[in-house]
Amino acid sequence: MTKMTTHRKSAPLGGRDYWRSLDELAESAEFKEFLLREFPAGTVELGSGLSRRNFLKMMGASFALAGLAACRRPAEKIVPYVKQPEEIIPGIANYYATAMPMGLTAYGLLVKSNEGRPTKIEGNPQHPSTAGASSALLQAQILGLYDPDRARQPKQLRAFPASGRTVAAGGMESNWSSFVEAWRQLYTDFARSGGQGLAILAESFHAPTLARLQSQWQQRFPKATWVSFDPVSDENSHRGIEMVHGAPLLPQHHFDKADIVLSLDADFLLGERDAIVAARGFAKRRRVSNERDDMSRLYVVESLLTLTGAMADHRQVLQSRQIPAFTAALLLELKRQGVALSSELVASLQKYAVHPFNSRWLQVVAKELRRHRGRSLIVVGRRQPPLLHALGALMNQALGNVGQTVSYSSLNDAAPSDHKGLLALAEQMGRGQIDTLVIFGGNPLYNLPAGMDFASLIKKVGHTIHFSPYRDETSRVVHWHLPQSHFLESWEDVRSGDGCYSVVQPLIEPLFDSRSRVEFLHLLATGKQRSGYEIIKESFAKMQRRSDGEAVFNKRWRRLLHDGFGTVKKPATTLPKFRYATVARQLQKTPFPQDIASSDKLEVVFYASAKLFDGRFANNGWLQELPDAVTKLTWDNAALISPKTAAALRVKNHDVVSLNYKGRELKLPVWIVPGCADNSVALELGYGRSQCGRVGDGVGVNAYRLRDVQTPDYGVGLTLKKTGATYKLASTQDHGSMQGRPLIREATLADYRENPNFAAKLVEHPPLKSLWKEPSYTEGYQWGMAIDLNSCIGCNACTIACQSENNIPIVGKEQVAVGREMHWIRVDRYFSGDLHEPSVAHQPVPCQHCENAPCEQVCPVAATVHDKEGLNVMAYNRCIGTRYCANNCPYKVRRFNYFNYTNRYDDVEKLAQNPDVTVRFRGVMEKCTFCTQRIEGAKATAKREGRSVRDGEIQTACQQSCPTDAISFGNINDPDSRVAQLKQQNRNYEMLGELNVKPRNSYLAKLRNPNPELES
Amino acid sequence: MEAPLIAGSPSFGSITEKVSSIVEAKFSLVWLLWFGFISSIALVFFGAIGYVFWEGIGVWGNNVPNGWGWPIVNFVFWVGIGHAGTLISAILFLFRQRWRTSINRSAEAMTIFAVICAGIFPGIHVGRIWVSYWMFPLPNQMDMWPNFRSPLMWDIFAVGSYFTVSLLFWYVGLIPDFGTLRDRAKSKIRQFIYGILAVGWNGGNRQWRHYEKAYLLLAGLATPLVLSVHTVVSFDFATSVIPGWHTTIFPPYFVAGAIFSGFAMVMTLLVIVRKLYSLEHIITMRHLENMNKIMLVTGMMVGYAYGCEFFIAWYSGNDYEMAAFKNRAFGHYAWGYWIMVSCNVLVPQLFWFKRLRTSVPVMFVASILINVGMWFERFVIIISSLSQDFLPGSWGFFKPTLWDILILVGSFGLFFTLFTLFARFLPLISMAEVKGVLPQADPHHQGEST
Repeated sequence: MTKMTTHRKSAPLGGRDYWRSLDELAESAEFKEFLLREFPAGTVELGSGLSRRNFLKMMGASFALAGLAACRRPAEKIVPYVKQPEEIIPGIANYYATAMPMGLTAYGLLVKSNEGRPTKIEGNPQHPSTAGASSALLQAQILGLYDPDRARQPKQLRAFPASGRTVAAGGMESNWSSFVEAWRQLYTDFARSGGQGLAILAESFHAPTLARLQSQWQQRFPKATWVSFDPVSDENSHRGIEMVHGAPLLPQHHFDKADIVLSLDADFLLGERDAIVAARGFAKRRRVSNERDDMSRLYVVESLLTLTGAMADHRQVLQSRQIPAFTAALLLELKRQGVALSSELVASLQKYAVHPFNSRWLQVVAKELRRHRGRSLIVVGRRQPPLLHALGALMNQALGNVGQTVSYSSLNDAAPSDHKGLLALAEQMGRGQIDTLVIFGGNPLYNLPAGMDFASLIKKVGHTIHFSPYRDETSRVVHWHLPQSHFLESWEDVRSGDGCYSVVQPLIEPLFDSRSRVEFLHLLATGKQRSGYEIIKESFAKMQRRSDGEAVFNKRWRRLLHDGFGTVKKPATTLPKFRYATVARQLQKTPFPQDIASSDKLEVVFYASAKLFDGRFANNGWLQELPDAVTKLTWDNAALISPKTAAALRVKNHDVVSLNYKGRELKLPVWIVPGCADNSVALELGYGRSQCGRVGDGVGVNAYRLRDVQTPDYGVGLTLKKTGATYKLASTQDHGSMQGRPLIREATLADYRENPNFAAKLVEHPPLKSLWKEPSYTEGYQWGMAIDLNSCIGCNACTIACQSENNIPIVGKEQVAVGREMHWIRVDRYFSGDLHEPSVAHQPVPCQHCENAPCEQVCPVAATVHDKEGLNVMAYNRCIGTRYCANNCPYKVRRFNYFNYTNRYDDVEKLAQNPDVTVRFRGVMEKCTFCTQRIEGAKATAKREGRSVRDGEIQTACQQSCPTDAISFGNINDPDSRVAQLKQQNRNYEMLGELNVKPRNSYLAKLRNPNPELES
Repeated sequence: MEAPLIAGSPSFGSITEKVSSIVEAKFSLVWLLWFGFISSIALVFFGAIGYVFWEGIGVWGNNVPNGWGWPIVNFVFWVGIGHAGTLISAILFLFRQRWRTSINRSAEAMTIFAVICAGIFPGIHVGRIWVSYWMFPLPNQMDMWPNFRSPLMWDIFAVGSYFTVSLLFWYVGLIPDFGTLRDRAKSKIRQFIYGILAVGWNGGNRQWRHYEKAYLLLAGLATPLVLSVHTVVSFDFATSVIPGWHTTIFPPYFVAGAIFSGFAMVMTLLVIVRKLYSLEHIITMRHLENMNKIMLVTGMMVGYAYGCEFFIAWYSGNDYEMAAFKNRAFGHYAWGYWIMVSCNVLVPQLFWFKRLRTSVPVMFVASILINVGMWFERFVIIISSLSQDFLPGSWGFFKPTLWDILILVGSFGLFFTLFTLFARFLPLISMAEVKGVLPQADPHHQGEST
């Protein structure tokens, strides 16, 4: 290998010198000190024996399925089919359309099924909610299906008082018919009384059949109470719309049509509802093929650093509680600049005219929004109060965006989250007015605000029934627990956020004795059991005109099952009514806070985990081990604070602090995140489960315990004290600075226009020559990849997609802490610029498949070699595990099986694995293969059909899941292929190409589009 | 006038008597206690290896990016130690350095034992220990040859041939002394065993002629190997792309370092041995002083290499290279670097002073410090380079576990156990050769010392 010298240009390229400023930054004493503080040395625990047991426990749990009844189809007995089912050909996977319900939305999916067992989840390419893409959450649901800790059968924990029977302490395993019998007794009683004293606490839904059954239930029990509540919901959003419009509506944001986006505390790329569509639309307007293309501009105002903030062209860091006043100031500025706004409203905002915010910023943003009338978009985060959502809607209306970049869909067939209803129910329970409470999904004992004290409320209820997938915290205090089926086992129908009607089809018979949501609600409403299939079909029939006849109906039904969704309802394009007066009155009544939280009275901000959501996915090992997109933490949550706050409070990473908020205390470790608002502590919800299963129990700290009933989203008055203890957090990336190295290459759009070849020019090196005649790869297929860093938002969907596709084991917290995580594609995150207002960039790094691969040359047993299609392949069977290849890999993408991470899978557990990919053994090196199994599959199909593989026919798992289409893969030997075209673009560069390793993966440089008026 | 090589003008007989008596003496309690202790440590070594076999190499501190940890550090360290023996016997023999005769036997033995210790590590550090034999070019049903482009493959040949030649050389040198021991043996068993080992040696003129020719040839064969082994070991690093490894100075730098550490280890052992077995008149201060001089020279060569690396990193203008060296001296593992510099560059400077280089306590402590420094040199090269290479996002540190420590300590246990056995059962000093440098062996120049 020839040694190459890297010279970096000392003159700024295109006027802005990212790398030098970085260098300078890296040299500054402050930054060095921060690095030392933030990234203390060596985070390793001794005593591997113990940790090994721990991870095996974890690993076993992640795939375990012990005791699965062998008579079900997925238990593969070595007996051939006597009659082969028509649609099943062994070795050939089938794909079925289904949907995953999630709050008020649902995600259309296409699920791969191997011999009757679902193995991989993809987005349904036709479905508007995913358009073929997915997210880490969706991908991980396949593991959730095979979770052995799910409830397996009904359990009666104590007898109903009226029944006169007794149940042994600890409860007894039961069955559905016993429950049905018990329920029927209650049912007849309540039917007689009209449901007096009966209540259901449900999760929110947006599903026609559930809505139909709900009204059936309500008719049967007119005096009963139904409350839907989610700890993390869009309630603020639809309540805000309700305020201006009179009816709750769901806003639909069309990022693909927006030139200017202003996010007010909204992490719309990852944390908000329908983030996949948002990311896809946003990326569409950011995509640039040459220097003449335009891209949208993103302004973000937020308190904690989110992925959306990381993508911002301009980011204002404010405490969450300042954002409403900031919005008011912006509204006034818009008015000042001549945007037509109700004078009544403006009058009520006058007190925000004097403000501590950056006036220049406000002016420029207002000007931009005004100038791009109908092409701008203001989005408000779910954390912000309804009033702010109302103001957002008003601004969008005033800017002519409604019908263009934002539209509203109705909430028909929905039971949205209802905070007030919950409070009313709690009051009724407190007064002993509730005799029977059915908890229909959800885990209120864990995730209701601590201030509510649900645990003592529920004791005042005579009969309690809990229906949920796990025997969780709530299940332990009720009379009956009933297992809920996984959505991959259920028949349901559902609407996504835009109102699109989709069907949830089971991919497999329920693994355990569980019922789907519709089956259970049917039982509650009618006292009878009925199959979900019939219920759903009946719902669908009711939507058809009777005159259409059965043949048409059957055709439509089959079509629905095939496509997974029905017709897309056109969302309303305007808001007919605007009640400015209501909003103005509300503004008078509840003024926005205008003070700033200080270090002795900190702000606390709660945010939903992008991995565990509200805690429901806490037993999912893939998600637990997935590095957080911003903090890169795994297996824990932490109190996120800014470097300045950390310095002021004298705390550093891993320090355990005691948080006191409204009389409640919580102890958890601190993690310092540059770019967070000062004096604002962000807490991730969803951790600290005590009863979810072997993976998630005791992982992290339950932030709900600090949540307040009245203001659950954020508040002020938190105090933070150092306890003196430390707790090791496991992060997958210890260094956040690029050290001035040209890894992620980035320029502003303006600089790019001036210097279209900036990316390639950033590194100068002598001509790359070889001493030997190198193999030429010009024949046949030559596989290559291009990753557009301008599209990548760093959402981690690729990482989990890869984990699912390639049978990548999880290793557990201790192993991650010593640096042994196994992800084949990781997303590196780098900070640059100012420590307090950093710019953040993400870079997915799979194996680069170097043509001149340093790993291949050093393997003593030739276990990693090159194939003639340019792939750097691993022969696991040949690998003896010298790890020399990993040492010599400049990209550090190789992963090693330090222990036997997979040997606890028994015959049944193996069902969760992709049968097309080898499961690796202890002592073997592994790495990204460019999904070689998919390549081979497509080649086989093409060969059978007598043609060559078409461009786009092969999608790698990471590419397929990517919501922003940042990853392209194909034959670079075909000049017309998408990947070859992308590699022709002037932003294309090879990371560390100066080493003459000739990577097959290249990156397209990142661009930002800052406003020149704010650049100085 | 220089001091005589052997002090006190002993007779041939008294040399034979002195050296053989060590082998023929009864076991002392001290020896048994010491042997019990040191062989238990050797057992710890094998126990720790067994545990690694059972659990997987995850019990060590290795991770990504630190694919190699202490086992490879130990491997390079022990291979380095193994350099002095053959250098002393072969190269000094060819250069007619007659002072080598008092020390060559134990130096060669030390070489053999060090290479045995070293050779264990490549075998046990791999992930699938049960197939580590795939590194050897053995015909097999898979029709697979090893990858001849891999420096690890070259290591197999380099270390393998070095061990073989060293062993042969040592054994050939032992044959006349085995003859002596056989002739002196009183018990049947001793006669039998030494008889076999002496392969019919009778000290005849013709045998001596053949013997000396063979010895010369072997010395010629071994000489290039002294240089090649560590050169090839350095290729493990030098041919890679990792900043801090990818360095052309590595071969001479590694060889100098190996000789340096080898002599230090010989020194440590001989200072003890000559005291314990009262061999001060055979292993004289002159021998020790000569070795100290060699350590001074090689120590400075190593120091020069340290400086040169920094110069080249700066001169190349390669940012990655410069960052790697900055990191070495001032980064996370800076303490390791400065231990290395203090022990390897500063400590040998003591030997500029005659008083210090002839002081047994000083040289004993210095030799131990030098080996500490040389272990840290390998630690610094391997671990500091791996922990922070190209992509800062992948940086990560290595922290040893209990099993790393046990394996390092255990390897010393094995080494000293083997040496203890050697000192007890084989002649520590090459009697035949020492006699050759006595004045009476050269009757034509009586009274003249060499």
